[in-house]
Amino acid sequence: MSGKVDTRYWRFCAWMGPVFVAIFYYCWGVLGHNFPPFSPDAPASEVAGYFRDHRDGVRLGMVIAMTAAPCYGVWGYALAKVMEHTVGGDNPSGNLMVQLARLGAAWTTITVLVPTSFWLTAAFRPDALPDWMIQMLYDMAWLLIDLAYAVTSVQLFALGVGFMADKRAVPLVPKWLAWYGIWVGFMFIAECLMPYFMNGAFARSGILNFWIEFLIWMAWVPVLTVYALKAITRIEQEHAAA
Amino acid sequence: MPQLKGGISGQAHHLPGDSGVWTFIIADMGAFAMFFLVFTAGRMASPDLFEASRQHLDATLGLLNTLILLTSSLFMVKAVEAARAGERGAVQRNLALTILIGLGFAVTKIMEYKAKGAAGIGLTTNEFYTYYFAFTGIHFLHFIIGIGALLMMVAKARRDLLDAKFVTWIESVGCYWHMVDLLWIMLFPLLYLLRAG
Repeated sequence: MSGKVDTRYWRFCAWMGPVFVAIFYYCWGVLGHNFPPFSPDAPASEVAGYFRDHRDGVRLGMVIAMTAAPCYGVWGYALAKVMEHTVGGDNPSGNLMVQLARLGAAWTTITVLVPTSFWLTAAFRPDALPDWMIQMLYDMAWLLIDLAYAVTSVQLFALGVGFMADKRAVPLVPKWLAWYGIWVGFMFIAECLMPYFMNGAFARSGILNFWIEFLIWMAWVPVLTVYALKAITRIEQEHAAA
Repeated sequence: MPQLKGGISGQAHHLPGDSGVWTFIIADMGAFAMFFLVFTAGRMASPDLFEASRQHLDATLGLLNTLILLTSSLFMVKAVEAARAGERGAVQRNLALTILIGLGFAVTKIMEYKAKGAAGIGLTTNEFYTYYFAFTGIHFLHFIIGIGALLMMVAKARRDLLDAKFVTWIESVGCYWHMVDLLWIMLFPLLYLLRAG
């Protein structure tokens, strides 16, 4: 390392993670009635009724959520940039982890965008659609967003491995947080049970497959951002001192 | 060729393994604690269903699995001790025994799942079996990852120096393997033994 490192856009990109969580929570979650979702055993008329009565709110929520979805990818690229300084981005193995972390973040953006468009479709002309069709769009969106967990796990695992490789006495990102991310990626596997349940803990609205799975992921984003912002300052100081 | 004997001795008391692994272990135990709460709530709501379903589980196989995992863990402890003493042969031998005995768990578990399948019992049969298959299935996944980590340690024990770094590795894997054990020790009475009050 030598001289000053150019970190002009890193902080801005790192802030996009918490921005994404805040917008997504409100627009997709509250306006779209996805936080928590309708239980799978809720009658089709209840789901369809919500989309008809709140079509403008759902449309606004989904349009903003789709617009904000790339924020997750932008955040993921900022983290991968930080990770280049823990794993050695210029060696082949380190670079592989960096690429996987970027790929996982980019893929996650797609798996947010696509199901969001299904909810938007349900709110586009709900009066013209039968109840069962609105329910099907709602189900389809949930099946996709939940079962696409593995692409986010790629990001979680790659970042975990990359941050753990830090040889500094005080790592840029603490080991506990690197392991926490790996655990979150691993816990997502419980989503595989989600298509089998209409109610209970493993249903899409259940305590395990909704509350725990979403909250452990949504909490990881701002906590990791705090450490990433501190890490950027340390990287600047290291380069300035070199 | 790496040095065959290294080893470390006279270590001060410390948290075994990599400190970060404990985050994973504590978080994972927290998740299982949540599973147990969910199960207990279900059992309180439908005690008769849970009791009738429990009686279809083979407690002898459950006990056998407990003994298999405990014995496997014993050899894991011996492997860690051998690593600390720098005894490569003993590390390899004890790791092999840890894996070999541990694989007995997979055999009995698969037999148990097959018997349930043959009896027409599955994940969605009732709430009890949902928890039975989900919790033991997730535990089984932990087991498979553990076997993978142990195999990796066998490879490392062949080629790496048995230094402090290796000891941290084997302690980390050992802690994880004990967690697999501990989770089963909690699952076994909860699913197989606990009678409705």
